[in-house]
Amino acid sequence: MSSRVYLLLTLAFYAVGALSVLLQAVARRRLLTPWTVTAALAGFAMHTASLSQRWTEAGHFPVVGFHDGASFLAWATVLAFLATYVQTRVDALGLAVYPTAFVLVLLAALTPVSDREDPVLRSLYLPIHTTLALIGYGALFVAFAMGVMYLIQERELRARAPRAFYYLAPSLERCDTLGGRSVEVGFVFLTLAILTGLMWNLSRGAVWTGTPKEWSALAAWVIYVAMLVARRRSGWGGRRAALLGIAGFVIVVFTFFSLSLARGMGGAA
Amino acid sequence: MTLVVVGVSHRTAPLDVREALAFPRERLQEALARARGEAGLTEAMILSTCNRVEVYGRAAEGAPAEAVARFLEAFHGRASGTLGSYMYAVSGEAAVRHAFRVAASLDSMVIGEPQILGQVKEAYEVAEAAKSLGPSLGALRNRCLSAAKRARSETRIGENAVSVSSVAVELARKIFGSLKDRAVLLVGAGKMSELSARHLVNGGARATVLGGRTFQKAEELAATLGGQAAPFEALQDELAKADVVISSTGASRAVIRREDVAAAVRSRRRPLFLIDIAVPRDIEPGVRDLANVFLYDLDDMKAVAEANLRERRKEAAAAEAIVEAEVRAFLEWQKSLDVAPLVADLRQRAEAIRRAEVERARQRLGPLNPDQEAALDAATTAIVNKLLHPPTAHLKEVAKNGRASEVVELVRRLFGL
Repeated sequence: MSSRVYLLLTLAFYAVGALSVLLQAVARRRLLTPWTVTAALAGFAMHTASLSQRWTEAGHFPVVGFHDGASFLAWATVLAFLATYVQTRVDALGLAVYPTAFVLVLLAALTPVSDREDPVLRSLYLPIHTTLALIGYGALFVAFAMGVMYLIQERELRARAPRAFYYLAPSLERCDTLGGRSVEVGFVFLTLAILTGLMWNLSRGAVWTGTPKEWSALAAWVIYVAMLVARRRSGWGGRRAALLGIAGFVIVVFTFFSLSLARGMGGAA
Repeated sequence: MTLVVVGVSHRTAPLDVREALAFPRERLQEALARARGEAGLTEAMILSTCNRVEVYGRAAEGAPAEAVARFLEAFHGRASGTLGSYMYAVSGEAAVRHAFRVAASLDSMVIGEPQILGQVKEAYEVAEAAKSLGPSLGALRNRCLSAAKRARSETRIGENAVSVSSVAVELARKIFGSLKDRAVLLVGAGKMSELSARHLVNGGARATVLGGRTFQKAEELAATLGGQAAPFEALQDELAKADVVISSTGASRAVIRREDVAAAVRSRRRPLFLIDIAVPRDIEPGVRDLANVFLYDLDDMKAVAEANLRERRKEAAAAEAIVEAEVRAFLEWQKSLDVAPLVADLRQRAEAIRRAEVERARQRLGPLNPDQEAALDAATTAIVNKLLHPPTAHLKEVAKNGRASEVVELVRRLFGL
């Protein structure tokens, strides 16, 4: 089967997962049912097959162009979700991950694959740099989602009016620590991605080329460093950490898409 | 031989009637014995809680509901028929459904409350000890308890606090996650604050009680909570250390002012959760604007409890569906224990063999006169009837005792049915 068929199957599974988790949330039932878990695992398997098939078809690591980038980002997000879920059993995360993965795969399915041929794509740096970056994005997405959950739930608690998030999200403390831990993991990968990116640059001439992507990656990195230092040194967390986690991720998203914008869908990751 | 449930509950009877009909624990054995004797029950179980008094029973024949109602009155020294208007009686399928719904806490005053399951379990245990539990109620017990557990674990019917003191704990958990080693500060010692504090301490929190003029009272409360007491003058220091503050003084003016709380949270990152259950209020409402501070007064807590109860009612529909499926399965299973179809099969089979053999004999004997025909028929029918009488009678007997399942399969195999 071609990567496209696998991708459409993936889309179907993620659609089942997203629909199921949203319906469960509206009905205030347990978010993850055997349905959603099966859909996530089957979808993830199809997705992995799709990426590996695409790798064969493209002849280079499948992270070039919007199609590849969106698909791979969705894959990393689901991977981060599964890893987090196995460790913490926080099912509320599914509420953010399933719809996101569905939309990203949908966008990927609607965009044509990039047929750009460039010797630079045969560099070993491409798979290493992009895999590190995407796994980092996945972890930082988890931090982003926990930050959003923290803020909304805090608002409900301060307004003394329990609503959806009061019933669905884990405690504020848990959102906070889980967000913090995800930032730690994401930060390690982001740092390694930036380092390998710079080394890749170096192999082609200059370390720093001053593209928006480089600047925004640096900005996100600085935000996360500040956050981690503040957390370590003074137990700084809660609302401001949630806000910074969200801001950092917004910049990361910009970083992710900036190259595609700058080069007209040239390279995504 | 159908199941009946007769009794009163919070739905049908006021508290004084329920009290009048309640069975004290120590008289349950005696009551079960009398219920069987006076109401003609072969099996009986009595569920007596503050919200309901019910007799579950099975009689060999007839519908003994009326007799059970009379027993309830007689046991409690009431004239016959005086409390009948408060009672309900259900039998057969409806009784099974009622038993399942009660155990699953779907018929409770507070839907999803956890005590009823334990109470039902205990009632069956007492009945078992009194030897008044037979195969019929025994099977009902197993199935309705497992259905109740299923409803509880597969829906959120039992989640979310619905009383003010447990709402305090739920909110604390929503804010702090684990309560382990969280500092709880009690300002003033009221009944409700003590209850909330006890829940928090059970979750791993440490308590400090501030005492004013009656310092001894604070010390006593601190001792029962395994915490310590401090004078009221230490309020500022204790506020800075506290995670949860429960205030319930009888003061006529606010005792915790906005600037006290502002000072307490200035030097820290952790949230501060303030619970004001005093009327008039102890804590200035302006505290709410402070970052990282959560202030709930008595009305707020009641509002959360009500919102939680609405959530539970939504879940009740899902729990009802689970219970209904379990009721259906139980009824199906009960039906399979019915020996009537087996007896019919047995008779049909014997009759078919008899007819075939009579036909063969007739062919060999040649033409017979009507008298001979009648004699042949009578003789073969008598053989069939006499052979089948003991097994049929035995089957009916075991069905009555509810042990048909052991025999039905064997009989079918022996006779090749």
